Amino acid sequence: MAAAPIEEYGLLGDTRTAALVDAGGAIDWCCVPGFDGEPLFGRLIGGPAAGTFRAGPAGPATLVARRYRRHTATLETTWATGAGRLTLTEGMVAELGGRLLPATVLVRRLSAEAGPAQAVVEFDPRLGAGHRRPRVRQDGAGVVCEWGSLAVSLAGDPALALRPGRPARVTVAPGRPLTLVLAVAHREPLVRVDPAAAWDLLVADESRWRVWCAGIDPSLPFREAVVRSLLTLRLLTHSPTRAPVAAPTTSLPEDPGGVRNWDYRYVWPRDASIGVGAFLGVGRLDEARGFLAWLLHASRLQRPRLPVLLTLYGRPAPRERRLPGWPGYAGSVPVRVGNGAADQHQLDGYGWVVDAAWLLERAGQRLYSETWRAVRGFADLVARRWPEPDAGIWEIRGDPRHHVHSKLMGWLTLDRALRIAEAHPLSARRRRRWEHARDALAAEVRTRGFDAPRSTYVRSYGSADLDAALLVLPLLGIDDDRSPRVRGTVDAIRTELSAGGPLLYRYPPGQDGLPGTEGAFLPCSFWLVQALARTGRRPEAVALFRDLLGRAGPPGLYAEEMDPATGAHLGNYPQTLTHATLVQAALAIRDFPPGDLVAAPRTGS
Amino acid sequence: MDWAGWTVFGLIASAALTAVLIAAQLAGLTRLDLPLVLGTLLTPDPDRARVAGFLIHLVVGQGFALGYAATFALLHRATWWLGTLLGALHAAVALTVILPLLPGVHPRMASHRAGPAGAAVLEPPGLFALNYGGRTPAVAIAAHLVYGTVLGLLLQAR
Repeated sequence: MAAAPIEEYGLLGDTRTAALVDAGGAIDWCCVPGFDGEPLFGRLIGGPAAGTFRAGPAGPATLVARRYRRHTATLETTWATGAGRLTLTEGMVAELGGRLLPATVLVRRLSAEAGPAQAVVEFDPRLGAGHRRPRVRQDGAGVVCEWGSLAVSLAGDPALALRPGRPARVTVAPGRPLTLVLAVAHREPLVRVDPAAAWDLLVADESRWRVWCAGIDPSLPFREAVVRSLLTLRLLTHSPTRAPVAAPTTSLPEDPGGVRNWDYRYVWPRDASIGVGAFLGVGRLDEARGFLAWLLHASRLQRPRLPVLLTLYGRPAPRERRLPGWPGYAGSVPVRVGNGAADQHQLDGYGWVVDAAWLLERAGQRLYSETWRAVRGFADLVARRWPEPDAGIWEIRGDPRHHVHSKLMGWLTLDRALRIAEAHPLSARRRRRWEHARDALAAEVRTRGFDAPRSTYVRSYGSADLDAALLVLPLLGIDDDRSPRVRGTVDAIRTELSAGGPLLYRYPPGQDGLPGTEGAFLPCSFWLVQALARTGRRPEAVALFRDLLGRAGPPGLYAEEMDPATGAHLGNYPQTLTHATLVQAALAIRDFPPGDLVAAPRTGS
Repeated sequence: MDWAGWTVFGLIASAALTAVLIAAQLAGLTRLDLPLVLGTLLTPDPDRARVAGFLIHLVVGQGFALGYAATFALLHRATWWLGTLLGALHAAVALTVILPLLPGVHPRMASHRAGPAGAAVLEPPGLFALNYGGRTPAVAIAAHLVYGTVLGLLLQAR
């Protein structure tokens, strides 16, 4: 069976873990008990032996509509089934409060209109890398599956004869929906939830999400799409720690059939920092503060070194390994867990983090002394190590290089730290050291990182290649937004790295030492929108943004990359960085009216 | 029961335990910061919290020292190795009971069940406080062994 297109999957989430459901109603990916746990349903990349949970039409059916209920995390899928219609409404319960509920509750309701509909429920959980089958017992209205300290129950109303791995057919009559509730218990007793009560929980959760969305700046352009991105960012932010997971999946390929398959179920401080700006810009202060709090706590052991990535609880990411026997999405092997980029030196990370701290300070959130100490440590490290080569934002797994983007972000680290220091104690000696390093860095990057004949910054010292990460240049302030350097770089990237329409490659395809190639990198397109808006070219920015919004998957979500030829989404999905940059692009459109080159006060740097 | 010894040596043992934890934290061995964890019961500012938490910890430590002193009195002996054994038991209880239960009472500590509405930002310690770093159990055990040994040694001398 051919894999469903990545972009057709919808995201269900409770801010602790997430599930991906295809247009046929099959949950093909879900890890428990958290985002980075073991897969319970893994068919997406593990094939049929890795388990699935399908609730949908039993026979041939036509997809009629698929959407999230407005400003909620509840997904609705409707099929035409002969004379009637069958609708699947589903979601996870995010807010447990102080109630006796399982930590994970997934609710799915099948309802029929205009006549009875034949439906099927296929429940086939398999745990972990070995697709372990559960010990099964029937229990009242459902079934309980156990794997040692993990137990999963599935109950139905009306009661269903459910057996894992054996599809159960059911007739759904109008006015008599079938409600299914899946509960997960990890190292704790299983809590039974009555399906009708579970439905009420989901409805109450919807109300809370609507209130949450109502708190988002009403003046945002393209507000519906931006709210969906913010909701997605929040669903991917682990509530127990406030850590944003880069994506809930591993090894969805950047090159179908190829080897570019990585595990993104970890947290990149860079993404967390970009999220600070996104949430701050729309008025969600708690989320912005939560991101930075996690970051400072998680990086505590390794400071002043900033780890490239961490687990949700701030531990070092597991060593990268391959899962033998996993066929991968569309035959893309190896399937990897863990991430080998964890040990790299990436200078740009410090810039994102210190800029996030500056944004909070500028928004009136005075930094705690401890936060300022951490920022000082990061700035000291950058002042000392900026002359060294690094792996760069794209985590190239070859020899380190003098990446121009990294140097620019090093400049940003020192510049923002100096700005924060205006309101915090800093010794004169340290200030001089930072100022000297900042100026030396600017002088070097303008000399060695700039191609004067082409009027553009380049990817690395001595290279003629461009790097779409340089589109953040207008955010930094190292060069005036009106300068030919900024405009030349934006235009050169737009021309030379174009993948057609609004799409951009992050660097010349294939120039990374890995076999195969990859798609256009979506965050770069949103950075282009942001750069155009900030440099007085708002109409172009709006046109590009509108085009990009039209390229979202049916549920309004984005992966990391896109095949320029087919529009298929590639890479892990949905992606925090893509959605965060979408929000920032919208903020730039909001904050920079046409022709206005004055730094906007509301968001951004 | 040696009340004077309990009063003075309890404070010394608690200070020693705190010193071991802070040293381990500064050495990059753990993110467990007991003064911060306890002090954020009262204030969100980390620096103020540490001061308050240190004082709370001294009081709590004094309470535990009462248990040690009572045990020594019941056994009619106080030795360094008996103190070490009690310290091991104390560490086991702290790691498996006290710290994992904290999210239930701490207003600024999230639990593994936290949802979007929660305002708590302090990361929960998890079983054996492993969320605060893989070496946290070893550090906590070492600190409590020091605590028990100090109490046993000092109370033995009287």
